[in-house]
Amino acid sequence: MDTETIKQQVKSYILREFLPGESPTALTDTTELVTHGVLDSLATLKLVTFLEEEYGISLEAHEVDAEHLNTLPAIAALVFSKRK
Amino acid sequence: MNREDSGVHPGKFVALGLQLGLLLLVIRQFQIESSAFLRLSLLAFAGFAVHYFLPLRFRLPLFVLLSLAGILLVFGFANSAWLVGFGLLLIAICRLPIALRLRVLLLLVAGGGLAALRSGWLEGPWSAAIWPILGSMFMFRILVYLYDIEHEKGPTSTWRTLAYFFMLPNVCFPLFPVVDYKTFGRTHYDADRHRIYQTGIEWMVRGVVHLVLYRVVYYHLTLAPSDVIDPDSLVRFLVSNFLLYLRISGHFHIIVGMLHLFGFNLPETNRLYCLSSSFTDFWRRINIYWKDFMMKVFYYPMYFRLRKSGPTRALVVSTLLVFGVTWLLHSYQWFWLRGSVPLTWQDGVFWGTLAALVLFNSLRELKHGRQRSLGTTTFSVAQRLSRGLATVGVFLFICLLWSVWTSQSFSAWFSMWDFLGPSRAAQARLFPGYFIGVSLVLFASAALYGRLPVRSEEGPAASGPVPLRPALGTLAVLVALAAAGIPAVYKRLPTSAANAILSVRKAHLSRADTAAFERGYYENLTRVDRFNSQLWEIYMRRPVFHWLSVESGGLVRLTGDFLEKEMVPGFNTETPFGTISVNRWGMRDLDYERLPEPGTYRMAFLGASSVLGWGVEQHENFESLLEAKLNATPLDSTHDRYEILNMAVAGYFPLQQLLVVDKALTFEPQALLYFATDREALRSTWYLSAALRAGRPIPYDYLQKLIGRARIDTATDETTAIKRLEPFKDELLDWLYQSIAARCRGQGVQPAWVFLPSIREGRWAEDLARQSQQAEAAGFLVLDLSGAFDGHAVDALRLAEWDNHPNALGHRLVAERLFAMLQQHPQAFF
Repeated sequence: MDTETIKQQVKSYILREFLPGESPTALTDTTELVTHGVLDSLATLKLVTFLEEEYGISLEAHEVDAEHLNTLPAIAALVFSKRK
Repeated sequence: MNREDSGVHPGKFVALGLQLGLLLLVIRQFQIESSAFLRLSLLAFAGFAVHYFLPLRFRLPLFVLLSLAGILLVFGFANSAWLVGFGLLLIAICRLPIALRLRVLLLLVAGGGLAALRSGWLEGPWSAAIWPILGSMFMFRILVYLYDIEHEKGPTSTWRTLAYFFMLPNVCFPLFPVVDYKTFGRTHYDADRHRIYQTGIEWMVRGVVHLVLYRVVYYHLTLAPSDVIDPDSLVRFLVSNFLLYLRISGHFHIIVGMLHLFGFNLPETNRLYCLSSSFTDFWRRINIYWKDFMMKVFYYPMYFRLRKSGPTRALVVSTLLVFGVTWLLHSYQWFWLRGSVPLTWQDGVFWGTLAALVLFNSLRELKHGRQRSLGTTTFSVAQRLSRGLATVGVFLFICLLWSVWTSQSFSAWFSMWDFLGPSRAAQARLFPGYFIGVSLVLFASAALYGRLPVRSEEGPAASGPVPLRPALGTLAVLVALAAAGIPAVYKRLPTSAANAILSVRKAHLSRADTAAFERGYYENLTRVDRFNSQLWEIYMRRPVFHWLSVESGGLVRLTGDFLEKEMVPGFNTETPFGTISVNRWGMRDLDYERLPEPGTYRMAFLGASSVLGWGVEQHENFESLLEAKLNATPLDSTHDRYEILNMAVAGYFPLQQLLVVDKALTFEPQALLYFATDREALRSTWYLSAALRAGRPIPYDYLQKLIGRARIDTATDETTAIKRLEPFKDELLDWLYQSIAARCRGQGVQPAWVFLPSIREGRWAEDLARQSQQAEAAGFLVLDLSGAFDGHAVDALRLAEWDNHPNALGHRLVAERLFAMLQQHPQAFF
């Protein structure tokens, strides 16, 4: 599974779970999910649970930050690196 | 990942430079913060000009050099060396190639040593002023730094480390946002440089606007708790008290904006915190850096540790941990900033209540979710109305909780609600104008703007030109502020507008804080610990040893009666501020015989610290100067010698002068001059309530009966006592003046009431007319020294920034004016 596929799956999850009613085109690769409040603490933890269950990975507390989760490409890259 | 540099653009550089020039002008015109901040801004903006043209790889080192230069600029060489030295020691411990636990242990030992130095247990050759800044630089950031370098892949950058800890603006702002180390590095030039610079300027301007708005709130809207007499004044008190946070948000915007000038594209520190629609929303908006710090170092690690036992349990424990740690770390912060560790019930109530509310909201969100938006969702009218109502409710409750946090005592807070009782002040208003106004503004703002869309054009890929409209908006605000600050401009405006601008052009204490500051001379003020207090900043700038320290060095002794204290006869000490010598009669004056020699004209001066000559040499105070002038230039031919007995004692209130009058009359003066300041009536009620609470005997029938009529006793808190004495204050002052005048006239002594203006004119000018009428009606000859300081700047007349007592020049002006007054009334005196 490549990062593009992961990215699309994560995007679908985020739109479905946290942004119902939003246009999918509004959520782009540069949308800052953490720093602009889309992924607050509760949403972040839900996303972590989704990523761990969906992709069979295990995330650590220090990986739950803007560096790894702020954008769709960053999330996809994190998941991809964890699956290796 | 940092971008490649987008190159030099002369036109954009000039536009940025123009804005920075205007900003510097505004900072100067409005005296934003201290003179040190003005110098630091000059350094920063000049440094930016150099920084702009440097290749990317040299910019971080230059920022570090500028930061160290800033420290040198503010502290001088010796203190800078100590501050930086201590800092480097802590950094070195963090970077030791040993296990994390050992480094933590070493840091605890080093920290303990520094804490001992901060507490004054050990002394050193440095100024105490370095501790708040050193604490501010390291107390929290070292936790974040340790956490991040522990998980960092690759070597830790030394330049980034130095830049992170010694950040340029920090030397002027002890209350500093907890910048995240990883974010600090990650956001360095992560977007188009000109966008970063322009954002920085925009935020600094926003910060300045916050600080000007803060002054409007602080000077014109805040009330003392004793001024709360009806629901409307309660709302005004609560809202204005909370809005003092504008000072913090103003500082934070300026700080992060200045960091943007050097490429640090850091996120915003707070986000429309007045428009929070829930308590969790408030927690996420009010101090975003603190929230992120708590999440990173405490919340997520605890949550991950507990999540196997269930998400709800993990959430509850982690949330409570965050607020518990926040409470403790706030006290820890105040230790470094003030040297004391306030663990008070007010902190417990505030953080405990907020924790419960945030937890409730979080559990609710966990179950029901929360609506988020990227800006394309259309919200219904019902949703907007609901948000508006929720915002008003949350805001007012937060204001209420904030008032508990900042209250002096539990009873003082409760006494604010006295107006709900049967007795109501005559001037109480029933129409809740403030409540309606505040609610409407908040409701409309929340309904229209409460949920801001995400700006998807920002972020690492933002590479387009700087958006023109915000930049033009920033420029317009700068031009308007700069113009408003020019006297030739604002004096052409209508008087009310000109006065409004004048009132916010300078930083000074509000009326409530001035009163608290004065009472600080006489009480051990322990509540100067709220970050929104300008009073605290003045206390922080006060040197550790100053002329007021002498009081605790044996100058004063307690009398155990209504007088409370007196100066110790024979006390003599040299201080850096001059000699303090007390004669055998307990006066700071020459030694006189009990009775005057024949041919001597003797006057007694009654007053407090200004009359005493606090902070100046004895021969420089106006009493000594006047005495010398009278002896050199006699005003009558029947006396060949003039003596003035200076019976003033620092900290005396009007009521104490009654006892001093009795003492003064034993020296058989021909005239007794009672020096009054502003708020004589209010200060009399302060003293009466303080004396009652302290259990001092109340020797006068009238005062004992007044206490009964006001329904106060030894257990009544200060705020309630002052409120209950308020209706009687003029009557009290009448009684005081009549008593003094009657005692004087009964012994053939001419009583004179002399109004001694404070260095800051016009703060309570409305009292002067009433007080002088009361004095005249009581039988005093009234001498008004108002105008004695006209034509002289405040700074040229006062002892120090933190002390408004007159200096030598101030005393000379008073002496000259008083001499002229005596010349105008020869019949009365001679």
